[in-house]
Amino acid sequence: MTRQRLPAPDTNGRSLDAQLHLLDRQIVDADGVPVTTVDDLELDSPVPGTPIEQGTPAPRIQALLTGPALVTRIFGGKPPASRLIRIPWSDVAGLGTIISLGVRANSLDASWVERWIRDHLIGKIPGGRHDPQ
Amino acid sequence: MILSNLLGSEVRDAEGRKVGHIADVRFVLDGPPGQLLAAARLHGLIVSPHSAASFLGYERYNVTQPWPLAQLLRWRHRGSFLVLWEDVARMDSGIVDLRQNYTEYDPMVPL
Repeated sequence: MTRQRLPAPDTNGRSLDAQLHLLDRQIVDADGVPVTTVDDLELDSPVPGTPIEQGTPAPRIQALLTGPALVTRIFGGKPPASRLIRIPWSDVAGLGTIISLGVRANSLDASWVERWIRDHLIGKIPGGRHDPQ
Repeated sequence: MILSNLLGSEVRDAEGRKVGHIADVRFVLDGPPGQLLAAARLHGLIVSPHSAASFLGYERYNVTQPWPLAQLLRWRHRGSFLVLWEDVARMDSGIVDLRQNYTEYDPMVPL
């Protein structure tokens, strides 16, 4: 078997290494409001365990996933897939130190905790439904 | 598939010999343009022969500071290579098989 360490072939687009450039990055919405962080990625890969034929199109990122990852990072394991919330890749507008979305946080499932606290807790406090005067 | 199922997986060659673990997965933004950003295609897998996880990607940059940390992490990930998607023969839970005569590429991050 001949193995050579060649320079990686040139690509037409920007390269991203998942751990270095995507995972754990903060996600902000179109108004710059922090939404969540990237805990995982969803790929449209072939069926696990089946041979991959030559010429099979490469998997693509379908969605950024976020969820209750803190507990499993401390104690091990990973959150069940049903607890992960998807942010479709089509909503991603920019990749940098932070990941910016092209939509507002209110339209995302990922910000439901913040909306619930706003409506059920903060909103019940006198003066909690308007800006400070 | 979820990416964390792939990270850390054992990588084997066509004869079934272990060649390392997946330390990272490289994507390229060259898919069909979406409404905001192009689709991110899986370009290849970063395979590390000695460690299942990578810290800060020192082995993929020319960064040499702080010197002791850079030396330690480069040594820990010595022999890391990039293998392209075209050379992946099978992906299963915790195991990735490569094709016969797969090519090892330099894992440096293109700047």
